[in-house]
This record gives sequence, C-alpha cells and structure tokens, in this order.
Amino acid sequence: MKGKPKPRARTAPPHAPEPAGAEHRWLGKSVPRLEDRKLLTGRALFTDDVDLPGMLHAALLRSDEAHARIKRIDASAARTREGVVAVYTAADLGDYWKPGPHLVPPPPVEGLVFHSCTQVPLAKDKVRHAGEALALVVAESRYIAEDALEDITVELEPLGAVTDLEAALEATSPLVHEQLGGNVAAKARQTKGDYAKAAARAHTIVRRRFRYDRGAAAAIENRGVVAQWDAKAEELTIWDTTQAPIPIRNGLAAMLGLRESQVRVVAPFIGGGFGPKIMMFYPEEVLVPWAAMRIGRPVKWIEDRRENFYATTQERLQIHDAEIAVAADGRILGVRDEFLFDTGAYDPYGLTIPINSQCTLLGCYRVPNYDSTFTAVFTNRPIVTPVRGAGRQHGVFVMERLLDLAARELKLDRVEIRRRNFLAPDDFPHDHGILFQDFRPLTYDSGRYAEAMDMAAQLIGYEQFVNEVQPGLRKAGRHVGLGIVSYIEGTGIGPYEGARVTIEPSGTVRVATGVGTQGQGHFTTFAQLVSDVLGMDPSKVQVITGDTREFGWGTGTFASRGAVVAGNAVYAAAQLVRKKVLDLASEALGAPRQALVLECGSVHVAGEPRRTVRLGDLALKANPLRGGVSPGTEPGLEATAYFGPERGNAANGVHAMIVEVDPETCQAAIRRYVVVHDCGTVINPMVVEAQVQGGVAAGIGNAFYEQLVWDENGQLLNASFMDYLLPTALDVPAVEMAHTVTPSPLNPLGTKGVGEAGAIPTAAAFAQAVEDALQGRVEITEAPLSPGRLFELIGDGWPVAGSGEDP
Amino acid sequence: MIVEGAYRFPAKREVIWELLLDPAVIAKTMPGTTEMVKVTHEKYAGKLRIGIGAITAAEFEVTVVLADVVPPERYTMLIDGQGKFGFTRGSALVELVADGAPGGESTQLHFRADMQVGGKIAGAGQRLLDSVGKLLTKQGLDALSREVNARLGSRGGGA
Repeated sequence: MKGKPKPRARTAPPHAPEPAGAEHRWLGKSVPRLEDRKLLTGRALFTDDVDLPGMLHAALLRSDEAHARIKRIDASAARTREGVVAVYTAADLGDYWKPGPHLVPPPPVEGLVFHSCTQVPLAKDKVRHAGEALALVVAESRYIAEDALEDITVELEPLGAVTDLEAALEATSPLVHEQLGGNVAAKARQTKGDYAKAAARAHTIVRRRFRYDRGAAAAIENRGVVAQWDAKAEELTIWDTTQAPIPIRNGLAAMLGLRESQVRVVAPFIGGGFGPKIMMFYPEEVLVPWAAMRIGRPVKWIEDRRENFYATTQERLQIHDAEIAVAADGRILGVRDEFLFDTGAYDPYGLTIPINSQCTLLGCYRVPNYDSTFTAVFTNRPIVTPVRGAGRQHGVFVMERLLDLAARELKLDRVEIRRRNFLAPDDFPHDHGILFQDFRPLTYDSGRYAEAMDMAAQLIGYEQFVNEVQPGLRKAGRHVGLGIVSYIEGTGIGPYEGARVTIEPSGTVRVATGVGTQGQGHFTTFAQLVSDVLGMDPSKVQVITGDTREFGWGTGTFASRGAVVAGNAVYAAAQLVRKKVLDLASEALGAPRQALVLECGSVHVAGEPRRTVRLGDLALKANPLRGGVSPGTEPGLEATAYFGPERGNAANGVHAMIVEVDPETCQAAIRRYVVVHDCGTVINPMVVEAQVQGGVAAGIGNAFYEQLVWDENGQLLNASFMDYLLPTALDVPAVEMAHTVTPSPLNPLGTKGVGEAGAIPTAAAFAQAVEDALQGRVEITEAPLSPGRLFELIGDGWPVAGSGEDP
Repeated sequence: MIVEGAYRFPAKREVIWELLLDPAVIAKTMPGTTEMVKVTHEKYAGKLRIGIGAITAAEFEVTVVLADVVPPERYTMLIDGQGKFGFTRGSALVELVADGAPGGESTQLHFRADMQVGGKIAGAGQRLLDSVGKLLTKQGLDALSREVNARLGSRGGGA
C-alpha cells in the first residue's frame, strides 16, 4: 500500500459523537495494531497450537458420492487397528445423533415459503453432498486415524445428483430431501410500488439473465476443534476456530446435557473467518467434544485444505432474470428481478444470503417500484452460508450491470446515469419498503452518495481517461478500460453485543467482549475507544475476545458488525467506568468532578498537575479490604454495558478500476484501483484501509480467479490450490483510498461496518472495465470471468479492433 | 468424461473378439492393471493402479460386467472401480467392424466410453483426467496391437 500516493479527502462529520469530557486523542488515529507483535513473533495461540497431555486425534471419513443411499458401513477393521481408540458412525451416536440447529430463522416476509433441513453430524441413510461426513475415527495420532479411515468399508448406492438449478425444479429431478417432494428450499417475494405500471410508461426496458458464482472463503487457517473434559471439575473446554463462541457454548451445552457454565469455548487467534466460521455446529464441532467426554481424553481435529473444499460452507451461484425500466433521462422507474439461489444440501443459515441480494440490489439509488422474487434450491453440493459479502455482491452486480446497459441504450454517460439516480443527503432516513436480513425495514440511515462518486471519478481521472487517455491507448493498439460502480453495504445489525471494562490495580485496563476476532484489529480499535474515554495509552488496554469464560453474552462476529455493535458496547462500558473514576477521584482529590482531567493513566485537577491520583491506585481504593462502604457501593472500577442498534446501518462506497486486457491471452491486469468508502466514524484509518484492501483482494478473486467448478454429478473438480486460483500479490494492486465520513445516527460512535466493503462491487466494476477495454465487443453478464471464459465470450468478435491482428 | 476413438487391427474380427475377452490379454493391455480374473461368464474383476497428477498411485478394485454381447460385433462394458482415492464408473461400447471383403484380414475397433470420476481423484486430478484418459487409452490400444501381432505370429499367421 506504499507505492502510490494515498489521497485522503476526509470531510468533517456533521454530527460527530463526543465522548463525555474526553478529547479524541486516539479515535480516528492510525494506531499500529497492538496484536501484531504477538502475531509476527509466533506467540499468538491458534487452535492447532493447543497441545494437551494424552491428547487424541480425529479424522473423518467423507463421502466420495454427491448423492447416494448408504447401504452399509463396516468399521470393524478400523476398530482393530493398533492405536485406534474409537470409531463412530451415525449408528454409534445413539440419541446424540440429531439434525443440527436451525441457526437463522427467515424474516417474516408475507407469503414466504421456507423448508428447514439442517445438516446432520454423520450421514445416516443417505449422503447429500460429496465430502459429507460418514464416520469419525479417534486415534493416538492423526496418521493412525487417517490410515484407519481406509479400513472402513462403505457401500453407497448412487442416486442421481441434483446440480443444475433449473433442472432441480423439474418434476423429474432427483430429490435432495425426499420428504419435501421437491427441491425448493424457500421462496420469497418482496415488492414496493407497482413495477408493471412503471414498466408500462418506461422509455426503455433492459432485460438480461445474469449468473453470479462465488467460491470458497479460503481462509489461511482452516477450521479446527480441540476439546478437553475435566471429569473432576466437570467442565468442558473447547478451543474452536469459530466466529461465534457464545452461541457455540450455549448450543453444545444443550446438546451434551451440560449447564452453560460447565462449558467454556475459547476462540483464540484465528487466521481469517470470512463467514463460514460462524456458529455452524459443524459435524466436527459437535462430535469432537462428545468424543472427548466419552473417551475421557482430549481430542483434536484440524481440517486439512482438501477437506476445507468439501466440509466448510461456501457461497455460490445465483441466476437472475432481471429488468430495469428507465425514463428517457435515465431515471430509474423500477426494477423487476426473479432469481434462483443455490443453498446447497442443507439450509441451516436460512435466507440471509438471498435477502441480502434482494436488498443490496437497490444500491444507492431511488427505486420507486421494485418486484423481487427468489427461489432457494436444494442441490447436492456443500452447504451455502455467507462468505464475505454474503450475497450483497450478487445484487450489486445485477443492478450495476443493468445501469451500464441502460446507459448504453440511452447514450448516457455511465457516471451520469448513476448521478441522476442517487439518493440525496437529505433523503435520509430512506425506507426502501422491504425487509432486510435483520427483519427490520430496509431503511438507510445516512450517506452522501453523489459526493463519493465525484471523489472516485476525480481520483481515477474519469473525464481525462475517457476523453484523452483511452483514445490514445486505443490508437496504440492497447485494450484498456475503466469501470466505476457504487454500492451499499448493509452493516452493523443487531441484536446486541456487550463488553466489560475493568481498571486493574496495576493501572492497566482489561476489556472483555464476546465477539470472536479473526484478524480485524479488534485488539487495537477497541483499545482506542477505551483510551479516549479513560485518558490512557492504548497499549495499556488489554482486550480479550472470544473466551466465553471472560464474557458470556453476545452473538458473534458477522455482517460487518464488530466495530458497530461490540465497539459501541465497549465505548458505553468505558464511559460507565469513567463515571466511577470521576466519583472516586473527586472524593480522593477533594475537587469537583468537572475540574478533573483523565490523562496518561491518572486523574488530576485541571491546572494543578500535582493534585493527582493514578487510576491503578483508585482501583485499589475501590476494593477496600477492611472498613465500611456506603450502602449500594459497587467494588472496583468496573462496568459492563450492552449495545443493540435499532436496525442495521448503510455503509456505502464507490470502486473504480482501470483494466488492461491482453487480446492474445485474454489475461486482464488491473492497473489502478480506487476506493472511496464511507463507514461513518473511522476508529482507525489504517485498519479500515487494510480491511478495504483485503476485501478488494477477495473481490478480485471473485471477479477473475476463484471459482469452484462442479461437474454434473456433484463432484468438485478443483479441490486444491493448484486448480482453485487465489489472486496473488501480483494480481492485486495497492488500492488508492479516500473516505467520506457520514456518521450513522443509529449508534453513539456513529460507526458503520467495513468488513465486507472491499469485496462487494469488485466484479461489477471489473465487468464494466473489461467491456470498456474491449470497446463493447463483449457483453458481460456473469462472474467470475477467467481468461478462458473471456476468450469464449469474445468468440466471433475476435480479433478485437486495434489488436495487432486487426487490418 | 467421454473417451472415444478407433483403431485398426491387422486380423480377422473373430480373432480380435477372442483376444478382447481374454482376461490375460486385458491384464496385459489395460494400463495399470495388476490383476484381472474372469469371475463368471460375463464378469471380470481385478485391480488397477494409476497415477494422476498429485495422486501418484491410486488403486481401484475394478469390476467389469459385459452386457449386450453380440459376438463378434459388439459389447458394452459396465465398469465400476472403487478405491481409497475415489471412484470411477461408467460404460464403454466396443464395436468391431470387419474391413474389406468378407473374411477380410483387418478389423476396425470403435469405442466410446462415458466415465464418471469422483472423490479425491476428481478434486485433485481433474485438470489432467482428460489427457490422462486419452494417454491411457492409446497405451492400451498399442499394447493390444502388439498382443495381436504376437499371437498371430505364434500361430504362424500374419498381417
């Protein structure tokens, strides 16, 4: 991120929050990440680092078939292998075998159809996707466990696989879940206004079919679970690479017949979550603790990369048949969309992804009439749950492509058509008239969309590129194009998170919160929030996340909500502690509260630096060992607070890129990438920019590199990093970033989420840029592309004008 | 995965027919075959060991059942291979056409196999499967041709 100048056009927030009595010494500063020393020196604990005396190792036998009846499983040979401690099949689980919990209920959309079919710990009668777990082996080492998998004989009778979304809905299709009599998992329609009427008076209607596929989350750390049952203490400790340790604790306690207080779930340092590590109650998460209790020895399971391609949830194909009705001046009159969504073999996560697609499609625009229907389809592929973006990119792709096509039909500039449709700063709150994934009305809180577009256009040099640079490049035979799109990221949804802030006698502050952390920089940003309120250096603030023993209330890290929901809880708890500090210091220093200043870990009387007391000493004083206190006094300088927003807020941004396509190889190289982003109040610009940069890398992968390829039999054909391509550092440019800052009125800090922003509009911008580079010879209605696919799309358009072969 | 092709043998159709159904010949000519026995009149069983990409020695227990057998014109092989690295199954239609005048000395073999591959071998080796499939087929037919020549030579016949 160093190579290019980084313009920063931060404008003053119109209603910036004021931490009570404190200056923004740390809020908004690029404080270097406090966790990095640990991470970079190899002293951060990851799940695979947990090594316990007597620990056993687990491996799972997975189905090679995508859809098959289980005729027989014989594990007797595996059980006699030396070093094998136990082998479990579904039949061995007894009452513990039951389908997993339904994690996210569908929103109360009128007329909704929803069939809940949740995954099972081990397949019993039938397997529904390649890689579904059939048996668990626990052995003295992973080597022995893996060898024992080969001793198990499985007889599977193949049933036809359901893989094509449209064929799945035909009466002749095999059924993933026979009891449903069809493969429809859900159907939901959300409407606003009257699209048919709007279309009737439209100047132009553009209608297309769009396909948008998405791949694996491909976190650098795969999943893992270690469980230890302490029979004397009657306590179960689980180290789990989960984004949601508290729901996992609660769920496992219920399944295992334990009290919640008997179960401790620790989500230590995690090498990337991106969605699939949410509270899935994966088979391994459910089985490893159970096995550890039964056997009475700790058990560890660490997912290998190949397993990750089958056993960890993914995100996937949607097919949209969409149309936009526009007036002659480019104003949007309405949008109609009907789409299919592949939910995989089970649907424990409900409808979060298609609802996100449905809502995010509306983007930064005024869309007076909207009619959107989706059908979620069961297929014989691994389970689909949110992956960074969580369906938002699908909606953005459809809308931005429709606008590009409409602009072309109307001979309008692509930036101009967007400008004409942006919601204006005084349009907020803007109710879109449909429900969001948090079951609340999709009501945007704030935003300055046109300004973000103008900034991005200026940064990338839009006018100059189109009018001067590109014609020159074309003359020279080069195929260089520009893409520029806007998007909304619905973030910071409820229900709530909490935090406890404690000043210790050592003078350090401990902050405990329930959300897990997977690299987002929480150890720094949460510390900054406390530092401002309590007047101390962030390095003196120790943040603890993801340990249910430290904090037991909350839901988890998802939907770009950490800085919004947990951040505001941390901030609120710090303010409560500040009040306690002031009360006690006022008494100790004999000065009125308003005369006190919190600075450098001490409290002093303004203008009298010698009348001072250290926070640590106040903490000691707040915990008297003898004598009396007045009734109602709480010990210590500690407070717990919770925050739950009324509804999610709307972060927004614009991505612009310049892409050069090599007409010989169809390789596309991104020459420049500009992001203007608005996530409200920025706690730490460096952390925000890193999130955007990382998100853009994921987005570029989704646009041109990463795709899980399945054959018609439900077999994954590229289950390794040899064939599933991730973009490398050479493919991802340093993003040039600028921010607009429009604080959210929905929380005291004014923060909005940023976790998924970088990944959402990338494919839409890339498609526009590639079309532009190829001078409209191709029309791109799908993502991801690849050089091979681009070659096919160019087809008869070959050779493109201006290439060396052109006459 | 579809693998198809044709091959000309310098021998009578009946001779080729007999060779094609001889388990010893199959074992010798099918690349990677380590064992092949005739279980019943129309069923063969054996072991196959092949390498594809990162998987260097995938072993399959293979059964081949013959169906729609019309000597010496055609038959269909129903192939089922199961192994620790996945499975392969499908069917292959083999047709023999006598060339030239009746009793002519050359035979044209046509085959068309529709094979499905699953499990680890699909996930890790797919990129190479098509080319490996073609290569193995060519190796097999070349080996079969050598066998034909050897047999014809030992019988004193010739091409």
